[in-house]
Order: sequence, then C-alpha cells, then structure tokens
Amino acid sequence: MSFWEKVANIDRRWIYLLVAIAVFFPMIFIMQFPVELTPEAQQLYNAIDNLPNGSIVMLTFDYYPSTMAETRPMSIAALRHMFSKDMKVVTLSNIPLGGPTIAEDVTRSIAKEYGKEYGIDYVNLGYRANYTAVMHGLASSIESIFNADFTGTPLKDLPLMQKVKNYNDIRFILVVSDNATIDYWISIVNAQYGIPVGGGVTAVSAPKMYAFVEAGQLTGLLGGMKGAAEYEKLVGIKGTATRGMDSQSLVHFLIIFLVIAGNVAFFALRGREKGRVNG
Amino acid sequence: MRTTVPVIVAFLAGIAMVISFFFAPERTILGQFQENLLQWVTIVGGFTLVLGVFSIVRVNARAVSRRNDGWIYKLATVVSVFAMALPSMLPTSSSTTFGKIFYSIVPESWASAFGTNPGSIYDWLFNYLDSPMMETMFATLAFYIASAAYRAFRARSAEATLLLITACIVMLWRVPMGEAFLRLFSDNIPEYINAFVMKGFNMSVQRGIIIGAALGMASMSLRIILGIERTYMGKG
Amino acid sequence: MVESLTFWDHFEIWLRAYLILSLFSFLYKDNRFYKMSEHIFAGLSAGYYVGLIWQTVIIQQLINPMIDEGKYLLIIPGLLGVLMFARLIPKWSWVSRVSLAFVIGNTAGIYLINALHGLIFPQLYDTMGSLTKAKGFSGGLLALVVIIGVISTLIYFYFSKEHKGVLGVTARVGIWFIMIAFGAHFGYTVMGRISLLIGRAEFLFYDWGGSLRQLF
Repeated sequence: MSFWEKVANIDRRWIYLLVAIAVFFPMIFIMQFPVELTPEAQQLYNAIDNLPNGSIVMLTFDYYPSTMAETRPMSIAALRHMFSKDMKVVTLSNIPLGGPTIAEDVTRSIAKEYGKEYGIDYVNLGYRANYTAVMHGLASSIESIFNADFTGTPLKDLPLMQKVKNYNDIRFILVVSDNATIDYWISIVNAQYGIPVGGGVTAVSAPKMYAFVEAGQLTGLLGGMKGAAEYEKLVGIKGTATRGMDSQSLVHFLIIFLVIAGNVAFFALRGREKGRVNG
Repeated sequence: MRTTVPVIVAFLAGIAMVISFFFAPERTILGQFQENLLQWVTIVGGFTLVLGVFSIVRVNARAVSRRNDGWIYKLATVVSVFAMALPSMLPTSSSTTFGKIFYSIVPESWASAFGTNPGSIYDWLFNYLDSPMMETMFATLAFYIASAAYRAFRARSAEATLLLITACIVMLWRVPMGEAFLRLFSDNIPEYINAFVMKGFNMSVQRGIIIGAALGMASMSLRIILGIERTYMGKG
Repeated sequence: MVESLTFWDHFEIWLRAYLILSLFSFLYKDNRFYKMSEHIFAGLSAGYYVGLIWQTVIIQQLINPMIDEGKYLLIIPGLLGVLMFARLIPKWSWVSRVSLAFVIGNTAGIYLINALHGLIFPQLYDTMGSLTKAKGFSGGLLALVVIIGVISTLIYFYFSKEHKGVLGVTARVGIWFIMIAFGAHFGYTVMGRISLLIGRAEFLFYDWGGSLRQLF
C-alpha cells in the first residue's frame, strides 16, 4: 500500500481516538477563549430582561435526555435569569420520554438556590399527549388540559395557578427544544394567539429557526451549546456550556483538518490513477 | 361501516378545529365543544404511546420463552420494562381505596418510592440509568461524524466543494477559537457570516423548504379531513 | 467541584460511568457489555412511557376527575383510548380505527390552519416585504439574496415540470443556494453532535474523576 492509500484507508478507530483526545485535552489544559455574542442571543436576553420584575413566564422543556448537553444549560441559564428578576415560572414538557422528569429536576434544584417556593413562584405542569392539542387547549384554559401538576396536585391548590388561567396571563414563552415542537409553538401559539415566543434549540435545528427570527415569529434564538454559552455569559455565570467551548473549538479544528486531509488523499490518489490511465 | 364511521369521525374532529379558528372560543358553545375536544384528544393520544410498549414486551417475552439467540438480553429488556413500570403505577398514599388496601400490606414509609414523583424508584431509574444511557447513545454520533468527515466528505464537484467550504467556515465561526482565528483577517468576518451566510443564503433556503413543506402539510391535512387519504387506518 | 461524597454518591457516579463506558465500548468492537446496556436502556425507556401515561392520563385525566368531580363524560375518551389496543389483535384491529381517526382528524384540522396561518403567510409576507424593509446597500443586497433564494429553492423542489428553460436556470441557481444552506446546516450538525460527546466527557472527567480522586 502506498502512503496515500494508507492515509485514505486509516482505521476509523484512530480517528475516534483523535476525537477523544481533542475533547479531553482542553479539560486538562484550560484555554477559555472569550465567547462572542450573536444578535439573536442578545435579542432573546433583552426580551426577557425587559419584562417587568415579577412577570409570569412559561419555560418549556421540550427536549429528550439525549440532547441535554446542549439544552439543559439553556434551561438553567434561563431559570437563573427569570428567578433573579423574581419572575413566576410555569414549566411544562411536550416530550413523553423524560421531559417532565428533567423539568422537575432542573427547576427544583435552581429554585432552591434562589429560595423560590413551589406553587407560589414556580409550577411544573408536567406532560400531556398530543402537543398541538395541548398548545391550542392552553389558549382557552390551562386547567382544561392540565387539571393537576406533574406530581398530581390539583391546580386549584396551587396559588400561582390562580393567577394563570390561559395565555393571556403569560408575558413570554421560552421554548427550549430539540425537535419540531418549537415550529408549532411558533405557528400556533405565536401566530394565532400573539404570545411572544423565544427559542433555545439544538445546533441541528438552529439554521431553520433563522427564518422565524427574521419574520418576527421568534423573539431571539440560542443555537446549540454555543448559544447556551452566550446566554450564560449574558446572565453572568460560567456553566457547563461555557466550560465545553474549548473542547468544541478543538474538535471543530480537528474535523476541518480531517475534511482537508481526506480530500487531499482523495485527489492525490485520483491524480495517480489518472496518470496511470493516461501514461 | 368499518371505513365510513372513521372517515366521518375524522371529518367532524378536523372540521371542528378549522371552524373554531374563526370564532373566539370563550364566547361560543363551539368554544366549549372545542375545549372538550382538545382535552379528549390529549387523553386518547396518551394511549397510543403505550401501544408500542405492549409490542416490545410481547416480542421480547416470546424470544425469551423460545430461548432464541441472545435471549438473556431480551430478558433484561422485559425485566427493565417492569422494573420501571410497576413501581410507578403503585399508589403514593392511602387516600384512595386501592391505596388503603396496598398500605395495609406494605409499610406507608415506603410510599415515596412509588409513583413518578422525585425520589421514587421510577425517578431514580430514569436519572441514573435511562438518561445517561440515552445521552451516551447519541454522543457516539460525534465519533461517526468525524469518521465520515474524513472518509466520505469529498469535493467531487463544484457544488460539493461549495458545501464543504461553507461548512468549514460555519464550523470556525461557531466556536470561540475559530471566531478569534477569523478575526485575525478582519474584525467583521463573523458578523458578515451571520448576516450573509446564515440570515441570507441559509435563511432563504430554509424559508423555501418551510413554505414547501407547509403546502404539503396543508394539502395532506385537507385530504385526511375530506376522507381522501385513509392510509392511517391500516389494513383490515 | 466535588465535595465530600457519600457511599451512595460514589455508587451512583460509578454506575453511570460504567453504563457510559460500556456503550462507548461499541466504538472499538461489539461486545456483551454493550449489548446488555443497550437492551436495559430499551426496556427502561419503554417502561418510562407506562409510568408517565398511567399517572398523567389514567389517574390525573380520567380516574380523579370522574371520581372526585363527577365528570363521567370522560368515559368516552377513556373508551376510545382502550379501543386503540385492538390494533394488537389482527382480527379486531379495525375497531381501533375510530380512535385513530379521532386523533388524526383533529390533528389534521389543527395542521391545516397552522400551515397556512402560522407558516406560509408569515414567511411569504416577510419575504415579499424584505426589499421595502431593507436599509442601505448591503441591506438591499441581502433582501435580494433572500427573495432570489426563496424563489429558486421553491422552484428547485418543484418536480411536476421538467427543469428546462427559465425553470431550469432558476433551479440551477437554487442548487447553489441549497449547497450553501446545507453546508451551514452540516457545520451546525457537527457542532451539535460534538456537544453531546462533550457532555459525556465532562461527566467522566469532572464527576467520575472527582470520585476517583476522593477514593484513591
């Protein structure tokens, strides 16, 4: 095998090892390049920050555990922002596999740090099936869809829910999502009921969301772990997303190197093949 | 009858939602009907999620009983289903009739272990087994994408080259180190990438796709409501 | 980051570390540790649905309202839900059609309005108005890019007519726009996948590493 053939056919497990090294290296040798803000993240932050203290907002946990590395830091930063402004937070999830449990876990742990009381400062509504019906149903009456919260406590026993009957009582909805549910929050809740919706999505979904941001249907956007790091910077915390940016940087450079190297090997072999055919 | 009744049900359920769009729900009887309809849909929709679980248990239990290849793994699947499901279905207090009977046998101090609340067996299994495994399964994709980047992403044509160059530029732009590298050439490069690549070329294509897909969604929905599209009913 | 951990904390960290490493071991070679973890994961995920639906639908939405509030009309959706299980018996699967039709018909009604009012109209409105909203030369140029991009993309995906003549040229322009957009999408996708790996790596380095340091 020639040099270029060896390069082109390298065992993929060596590539896996390189990726692993690139991920762990910055955890040992910390670099911490500054996280620059995008206008979309700033727009989302401003939208929430400009709300009066004590406003009632909704935070959705529309993501599976599989994407928590990107989305959980967004939820945590958002909750810190909202609780620091004494906002009342109503959470729910449209994801049947893990969503409501993640919502419960995250909100309770952050609320404890800010001395917030369940039922008065925040409520986790839990999950109901068929998210399009849920989104429509919340417009007329939250209690018609969620007669109890995630733990089974009737809404009439929760003081916060006496003030929140439907979308008219909610000032802003921040959707943290890793799937198409955000499309429906935008096209049903924002388009038909006029409630401002902000988005925190995984990197895979982020390119699509620009269309909604530009059309004014989405107020601000956090895209992937970088988006979460931007929001952490705006809120003034150094969370897991900020910490992961160095590893993200190094692996991106590695991937670009691999793309270039793979193509160089490809063209070198193709050139040799053409030379062999012609001569 | 087997087809006509479902078609009529689909029509009524669909047309109710379309008509209710034009009337404010709080001021009409139709609004109250819509509220009930939506509530019922969330209830019926919930049952569809459990259908798959029955299939999984049935298929795996059959493989275990026949001692097929790898039956020990299938047994682990079945045991895991019940380990998660059974404690979550048990009562969390003696306030109900079933609860009273249950807690006459079992100490009531065990109540926090049952149900789906924080601190229950269900919650623990999810947080310490299911969730980490789900995260890890998806994390392995990172290795595959790196391998694919090396072995499969080839600039075979002008279009493919454009795709790869754009991808590399965006990959640089989206990380702090990459952004610092781009700013070495010009301070405005990251802003230009955001403005022209993401909010220009990317956004226009995404918008075209959104509009096209929405047109397809609208036409399919109309076909379902009018009973032209019946594939959702299946055979039999 | 890690304060003094109890035995139970160590056990939970090591359990998660074992599961993560057993699943990652597949990258080297398929093995029994990976297979066992994978099958347990499938079972737990299925079991999660059961617990969630039992509590949120059966108890909270059916039993409690019927017994505590006398809402006996809820027996109808309850029955429709139970009829769904007829799908598991081939001879009786037709019975589940009514339940399916109810859910799908309702969803279709929502989707019809949602597609037109929530997606098509706002997106078209913003596209057509982009030139009037544009500020300065670069704004105008960007607006032109957007309009050309939207139109050429839609034409590229229009397969009912052969791409010849003006249609062919526009579709060709569309391909170039699509390549740039997909390149951007690929870049973001790489970012997304790497982020998930970083999440696991952070657990192994900080949490499991912390436990190792405390124990040894």
